Amino acid sequence: MEDKEILEKFANPDSRNLAFNQLVRKYQQKVYWHIRKMVIDHDDSDDLTQEVFLKVWKNLENFRQDAQLYTWLYRIATNECLTFLSSKKRKFFLPINDVAAELAEKIDSSPNISGDEIQLKLQKALLKLPDKQRLVFNMKYYDELKYEQISEILGTSVGALKASYHLAVKKIEEFLKAD
Amino acid sequence: MNNKPENIDLNELPKHNVYQVPEDYFDKLPTRIMARTAAAPKQAWLPAQLWPNLRVAVAPVLLLMLLVSVLYLNLEQPATKQTINLATVPDSEIVDYLTSYATLESADFAELNNLNQQELTADFLNVSAADAEEELEYHNLRNTDY
Repeated sequence: MEDKEILEKFANPDSRNLAFNQLVRKYQQKVYWHIRKMVIDHDDSDDLTQEVFLKVWKNLENFRQDAQLYTWLYRIATNECLTFLSSKKRKFFLPINDVAAELAEKIDSSPNISGDEIQLKLQKALLKLPDKQRLVFNMKYYDELKYEQISEILGTSVGALKASYHLAVKKIEEFLKAD
Repeated sequence: MNNKPENIDLNELPKHNVYQVPEDYFDKLPTRIMARTAAAPKQAWLPAQLWPNLRVAVAPVLLLMLLVSVLYLNLEQPATKQTINLATVPDSEIVDYLTSYATLESADFAELNNLNQQELTADFLNVSAADAEEELEYHNLRNTDY
């Protein structure tokens, strides 16, 4: 079902639930994986994914259709991730590296994470990046979004995003080479 | 033997997803989300995060409105209000007014009856017995039992 059709059906109280169910089914995996790559833990990702869709449910009526629906969803999911990671740092009074270390430990110990050595190393290398640079890398490298789309989601200029991505790639390659 | 990679090009690495989800996770997730939306209220006309700031702003505005209202009412009243000092009104005018407009009600006579029970004198009542009888007769209250 096209986004436009979902939005039209959502506007009608009789077909609202059906339309929202379609929306969840269409975008749940994109939202979940976007969150999972940022917070690593499945249970945290599950909670945040549900929170994202609850916010979508509450605000979809006010969604301005001049933006694309998936861009709007990415933006909500991104904000949820950043808020979650910030609160995690504040809650435990930990400096950024300790949260990264905690997430890296999850990569080693979680039963829901598997892969060859170089892939696991890559994930740990990503945790060395600042959260926003990690977001940019994930959206460009894994989700293969265009810089213009990432710009719309993050509200950052395309030039700054290009610089951020190339710097991230350089840092990761150096980390992988050095480790 | 050192098998560490010398140069790693990310573009040459396969984009393998190392993260996994429990079985049937994405089959069940929409149902769980829909169950939560059923319990979730629709968005309020004002976002909840605005309320704390708004409360702080509303209190002084309400206080200001109250002050303005009180001032406005106080300014309005002196222009229309006429006060009369009762001491400057002659007794004859007061008697005329009471004669014309004051009406005796049955409750007044009830009080009179009570006063009799307390054996108050006719002097205290400032009315003669004949006048009282006449008044009772006039209002047909002789047989009224209070």
